[in-house]
Amino acid sequence: MSPSVILSAYSLLFLLLFSLSLFGFIVIRRLVLERRQRRFNRLYEQIEKDVLEAVSLVRPDFSLEVARRHRGHPEVLTQVLLDFGDILSGEGRDQLRAIFNYAIKGLCLKRLASRRTSKRLQSIRLFIIFFDPAERDFLFRLLKDKPIIKLAVINALSRIPSPETPDYIFKAFEEDTGCTIQAYFNIMFSLGNRTEPLIKEFLRKPLPVDKLGLLVELVGAILLRTLFEDIVALAGHPDKEIRIRVARTLGKLLIPETMDTLVALSADEAWEVKAQAVKSLGKFKNPEALDILTSSLFSAIWYVRYNAARGLAELGEGGLRRLKEIAGQDDDKYARDMSVMVLNDLIIPGEAA
Amino acid sequence: MSGVFHLLLHAFNIVILVYFFLINIFYLLFIILSLVGLFRHRDLTRFVSFKEVFRLPLVKPISIIAPAYNEDKTIVESVRALLSLEYPVFEVIVVNDGSTDQTLDTLIMSFRLEKSRRVFRKVVDHRPVKGIYTSLAHPKLIVVDKVNGKKADALNAGLNISRYPLFCAVDSDSLLEKDALLKMVRPFLEDPEKTVAAGGIIRLINGCKVRSGQVQEVRLPRNALARFQVIEYFRAFLGGRIGMSMLKSGLIVSGAFGLFRKDVALQCGGYRAGTIGEDMDLIVRMRRHLHNMRRPFEIRFVPDPICWTAAPETMKSLSGQRNRWHRGLLDTLLYNRVMLFNPRYGLTGLFAMPFYLVFELLGPFIEVLGYLIFAACIVLGLVNYWFAVLFFLVAVVMGTLLSLLSILLEEYSSRRYPRLQDILVLTLFSLLENILYRQWLTLVRVIAFFDFYRGKEEWGAMQKKGFAQAD
Repeated sequence: MSPSVILSAYSLLFLLLFSLSLFGFIVIRRLVLERRQRRFNRLYEQIEKDVLEAVSLVRPDFSLEVARRHRGHPEVLTQVLLDFGDILSGEGRDQLRAIFNYAIKGLCLKRLASRRTSKRLQSIRLFIIFFDPAERDFLFRLLKDKPIIKLAVINALSRIPSPETPDYIFKAFEEDTGCTIQAYFNIMFSLGNRTEPLIKEFLRKPLPVDKLGLLVELVGAILLRTLFEDIVALAGHPDKEIRIRVARTLGKLLIPETMDTLVALSADEAWEVKAQAVKSLGKFKNPEALDILTSSLFSAIWYVRYNAARGLAELGEGGLRRLKEIAGQDDDKYARDMSVMVLNDLIIPGEAA
Repeated sequence: MSGVFHLLLHAFNIVILVYFFLINIFYLLFIILSLVGLFRHRDLTRFVSFKEVFRLPLVKPISIIAPAYNEDKTIVESVRALLSLEYPVFEVIVVNDGSTDQTLDTLIMSFRLEKSRRVFRKVVDHRPVKGIYTSLAHPKLIVVDKVNGKKADALNAGLNISRYPLFCAVDSDSLLEKDALLKMVRPFLEDPEKTVAAGGIIRLINGCKVRSGQVQEVRLPRNALARFQVIEYFRAFLGGRIGMSMLKSGLIVSGAFGLFRKDVALQCGGYRAGTIGEDMDLIVRMRRHLHNMRRPFEIRFVPDPICWTAAPETMKSLSGQRNRWHRGLLDTLLYNRVMLFNPRYGLTGLFAMPFYLVFELLGPFIEVLGYLIFAACIVLGLVNYWFAVLFFLVAVVMGTLLSLLSILLEEYSSRRYPRLQDILVLTLFSLLENILYRQWLTLVRVIAFFDFYRGKEEWGAMQKKGFAQAD
C-alpha cells in the first residue's frame, strides 16, 4: 500500500471516530438536558407552590421552613426567586427576601467573586431584586469588572434608593471610555430628578462630545427645566452634534425664554441643526414663530421643509392658514407639495374624528 | 508529451488536495470561532434583561422595508407579523414592486389602505412611484406602489420614503420573531457610532406551523430538498456568518433580515440599481466607503434574532435561487475588484474578499475540475482505486462532520427542533447531502458563472404556497 492510501485510511478512521463521538455527544447531551429539564420543571413546580404559599401566608417562620426545605436545590430556587422577585413587592417580596437570605445569599456572595461571567451576572441580578444596603460594598467592588458586569452593577445601583448612588454612577460615567456610554443614558434616566445637581455640575466640565451630548439629551428626557440656562449656554458649541441636541432638548423643555436661542439655531450653518431647531420651535405653539417657520418651509433642505410644515400645523389656526396659502401657490413646488402632504395627513384623522 | 501530461495531472492533484485541505480548515476554524462567539453571547444575555433597557427613550426608531413582488399568498400574514413586532417606535414600509398578481389589492383590502399625498426626499434613484398608501387603522404601515425595478430598486424607494435613522430590510415572504428587532438593535446600542449594520439568523419555515404571523410549532420539512437546506442554513448562519463576524470579515447580511444605519447606506448611494445580490453588494460597498473614509466601523452578526423564511422545494426553484446567489456574488466581487488583495481595505481586502473569491466563487470550478480529472484518470488507467475510494469517503465524512458541528451549534444556540428524532433525521441528511445533492449544486453554480457572462438577469422566483397554519 502506498503512503497516500495509508494516510487516507487513517484520516478516514480518525474522522469517522470523531464524527461518531460527536453524534453520540449531541444525542446524549440532548437526552441529559431533557431529563434535567424534566427534573427542573418538577422541582420548580414544587418550590413555586411552597414559595407562593409563603408569600400568601406572610409568616416568617413558614418562609424559613420553605428556605430550609429547598436550600439543597439552589439553581431551581434561584430561578423561582428571580421569576417572582421581579413581579412581587411589599410584604410578598419580604418573604422572598427571607428565603433568599437564608437559603442562597451565601452562595450568591461567593458567586460575585466567581471566575465565570454568567455566575457573577446571575448573582448581581439577585442582588438587584433583594438588595440590602449592607451589601452595597460588594456591588461597588464590581464596578472595576468587565464592561458587561459593570453595566449590570450600575443598573442594580440605579434601583437602590441610596443618596450616594447617583455619585457612584456619575463617577463611573466620567471614567468610562468603553462602548457602554450610551447605556448610561437609560440608567441615569431611571434615576430621574435625583440626577439634577450632578448633571448641572457635569455640564460645566470639559467632557468629550459623546458624553456631553448624552447629558444634554438627558435633561430633555427627564425634563429638568431648571437647567435650561446651562443648555442655552451650549447653543454656541463648536460641535454640531451638541447644537442639534441643544435644539432638541429646548423643544422638550418648552421654556418661553429659550425661543430666541431656537430662532438663532434655526439660522445655523448646519442644516441638521436648522431642521431640529425648526421642529422644536413648532412645539412651542407660539404665533411668534410663524414667520420663521414659513421661511423655513422654503428651505432647500427636505428635512427643514418637513419640520417647518409640521411646526406650522402644530401652531393651530394661524399655521394652518399659512400652510393652505403655500399649498395654493406655484412659485415653489417643493414647499407646495410639503404643505399639501402635511395638510392631507391632518385631514385623515380629522375626518375620522 | 506523456511526461508533461503526467506532470500537469500531478500539479492539478496537488491543487485540489490543497484546496480541499484549506477549505475544510477554514470551515472548522469558523465553527470553532462560532462556538466561542455563541458562548460569549449567551453569557452576556442570559441574566441581563435587555428588554427593560430597550424600552427606555434612547432606542433609535426603525423603518422596516419589505419589498414585495407577487406575494399575494403570504403578504397579509407577513405584514401582520411585522406590525406586531415588539419595538418602541417603528414603521413598516411595504414596497409593491410592480406585482402582476393581487398583492396591492390584497393589502388595500386587508389593511383598509387609502391613497396618501405623502411627499418624500429622493436621495437615491429608483423607478417611478405610482402611489403611496397609508391606513388609519394601522398608522405604522405605509404601502408604496411602484413600477417594477427589481429588489434593489424597491429597497431604494423604501429608503427614500423611510423616516427613521435605522432601517431593517426584510423579505416580505419572511416572518420575524416578535422580539427580533429588540435583539437585533443591541449592537447599535452598545456602540452606536461604530456599528453600521447587523444581521440575524435565518431559519426555514417549511414544515413549521404558523399562527397570527408567528411560528407556533417548529418541525422539520417533509421535503428532502428543504431538509438539505436546513443543514445548509445551520452551516451558513451558525457556522460561517458568526465565525466571519468574529474575524470582523462578514461580507453578507442576509437580504431577508438585516438592520442598517440609514445615513451610511445613503452615503454609499443606497442599493446599486440592477444588482442581483443586493444584500452582499451593500455590505461590501459600505465596507469600501468606510475604509476609504478611514472611519472605524463594525458589522455585527447577532445569533439570537430569528427570521423564518420559506425554502424552495423543487429542483427548478432551488437551482434558480442558487444561480442568482452565485451571479450576485460574482457581480459584487467584480464591481468591487479594486478591494481584492488591497491592504488599504484591511481584513476585507486581504482576507474576506479573497476567501469569497477562492472558496465561494471559484470553488465550484475546482470541484468540477477534480471530478473531470478523476474521470480522465479512470479512462487512462491512472487511478489508484483504493486511494480514490478512501479520498471520496474522507470528503463525505468531513462534510458530515462539519454538518454535525453545525447541528451542535444549533443545540447550543437555540435548540429550536424539539424532538430527538429531528436530530437523527438531520444527521442522516447531513450524510446524504454529500452524495449527488452537493455535486448538483456545484454544477448549478458553475452554470451560474456562464449565465452571468451571457447577461442572464432572471430572478429565479419560486412558487409561493403560503404558510402552513397551526390548528
